[in-house]
Amino acid sequence: MKNLIPYFTLGYPDNETLMKFLKVIPVNKINYLEFGFPSNDPRYDGPVIRETHKIGNKNFRDDLYDEFFSYFHKNGIKMYSLSYYSDIKPRFSEFIDYLQTRNFSGIIIPDLIIDYYSEAKDTIDYLNKNGFEYIPFFSPATPDKIITGISELTDSWIYYGLQPSTGIDIPYELDYTTERINSLLPGREITYGFGIKTEEDIKSLMRNGGSGVAIGTYLEKMLEKNDEGGFLGYIDKMRGVLDA
Amino acid sequence: MISSINKDIMPENWYNVVPDLPEPLAPPKDSKSEFSSINLLNKILPKEILKQEFTFRRYEKIPDEVIEQYKQIGRPTPLIRAKNLEKFLNYNGKIFYKYEGATATGSHKINTAIPQAYYARNEGVNGVTTETGAGQWGSATALAASLYKLPAQIFMVRISFEQKPLRKIVMNLYNGNVVPSPSNLTEYGRRVLKEHPDTPGTLGIGISEAIEYALDHDYRYMVASVMNVALTHQSVVGQEAKKQLELLGEHADVLIGCVGGGSNFGGFTFPFIPDNPDTEIIATTADEVPKFSKGEYKYDLMDTAGVLPEMRMYSLGADFVPPTIYAGGLRYHGASPSLSLLINKGRIKSDEVTQEEVTEALRIFANTQGIIAAPESGHAIATMLKYVKEHKNDKKTIVVNVSGHGLLDMSIFGDKP
Repeated sequence: MKNLIPYFTLGYPDNETLMKFLKVIPVNKINYLEFGFPSNDPRYDGPVIRETHKIGNKNFRDDLYDEFFSYFHKNGIKMYSLSYYSDIKPRFSEFIDYLQTRNFSGIIIPDLIIDYYSEAKDTIDYLNKNGFEYIPFFSPATPDKIITGISELTDSWIYYGLQPSTGIDIPYELDYTTERINSLLPGREITYGFGIKTEEDIKSLMRNGGSGVAIGTYLEKMLEKNDEGGFLGYIDKMRGVLDA
Repeated sequence: MISSINKDIMPENWYNVVPDLPEPLAPPKDSKSEFSSINLLNKILPKEILKQEFTFRRYEKIPDEVIEQYKQIGRPTPLIRAKNLEKFLNYNGKIFYKYEGATATGSHKINTAIPQAYYARNEGVNGVTTETGAGQWGSATALAASLYKLPAQIFMVRISFEQKPLRKIVMNLYNGNVVPSPSNLTEYGRRVLKEHPDTPGTLGIGISEAIEYALDHDYRYMVASVMNVALTHQSVVGQEAKKQLELLGEHADVLIGCVGGGSNFGGFTFPFIPDNPDTEIIATTADEVPKFSKGEYKYDLMDTAGVLPEMRMYSLGADFVPPTIYAGGLRYHGASPSLSLLINKGRIKSDEVTQEEVTEALRIFANTQGIIAAPESGHAIATMLKYVKEHKNDKKTIVVNVSGHGLLDMSIFGDKP
């Protein structure tokens, strides 16, 4: 089964609305959940997700979501934190403890190998020692040697961003992109994200060996409009596309 | 001299350094919260250029039509051993120079202007627009646009516009329309003129004006430098030089080039990076624009108005207004992200030279080799002279990129050439 990974920024558009959507999300149609912990500088996100961090920062209360984390864990949904190293670095071990006690499986750190490359190996080693998955995040700008080198440090799935930022629409060669990552990381579980829009894109990515997709910007727009029907319909449709 | 006698010297692909960098290149960053300046690139650049900007392909096929135009404007350019200079310097090693001044417009700039105009023409746009400092990029843009029958609107930094009237004539001859920047053609230019009526202008202001013009007139913006795609196109310079050295049985111990935004430098040196780990590479800037020694390695704006995305690069600040040095092409506040990363990681060294050192270097080069190099290229030559002085007995093979001729820049020598 291909992985469908919805993304939510915690606290966006407000705690009440987000909790309403989390309550109705069909756990039999998704595989993992990605939660963005609001960042002070979500530099590698596009305007929509950046705005969700800005608002999430004002609203987020960590006591509100524990019951949801527990609920998803009990239903076999793996949860991953999307956190910027620039935010969590000063309290890194404390933050990992926080996530582990809430049954998160791992963490995606988009700025780690870009802005803190010299600290990447030690950070990944720390996570490995603590039994917490580090999800490598790569983009088209990641050099080949970095992709292979960082991937060797972990057995987890790979998050590959197709665009420079979330919700951006720069032309790219889908087939060549998948060919490159498959040849660099044969047999690895690759999930694609950042700027996926069309069903045809998803079909092509899966046809070329992708193991799943992460959807963020599109869902956040539905949360903003409080469009519960649209949200459920979209999840349903994406599940169908992935299963086709 | 190895030049057009061997047709195999010209590469069939452009080389993109991104997959071979030692660390990931930081992606462009949106500078505004209300809209995506990265998405804005979709409106101002030809789609194929945008694709090439963000590609991770190590090699990009050069279209046949572009290869033909490269041949028409004088590619491959010569690689010449500077024996007279070696003798003059009493140097025990070898000095070669790659001479981009031999192209039709007299500099390397045409190497990226042609493909950009080609892709713009293919998209059926109304025209192309850009900024220019010394006028070399403006000349290349005007010619490339003319080759593809596109109108060209060029914003020339005011100080250069005043110092280099012949460049304006060249651009006009190629059917380009040239105005001093800041100008009254754009809202941004009018605002700058109102606030700073005596400003000498900067490349950052020129970029901002060209982008506004492109958006308002369905033109496409021509990228002179800084962005990766320009460096990729310029890789024809370094690939040719590599091949020419190979044919001569030589190995480059040292590569030297000058840096404005980084396109001639990156194009010349990057093709050597993957398989020449021991080659010393030196980037020269103007002492008056000390971006590598005094600038910060940080995200900063590419243009003064902040329309374009921020890039992580060495920068003196987007509002930096350099002294009115003669080498207009070196006045830019930043440097391309890939070059900046390689400098930051120590793979590429940097040097700074004064205008006096440059003038002297140009004199020596003219008197020994007969070539009157561009003031920008004079910086690379000045660094090469310093290097030779410090390594007199090392017997190294030094290759310097002379990115253009200076025949339209003679007033740098004042009344006593």
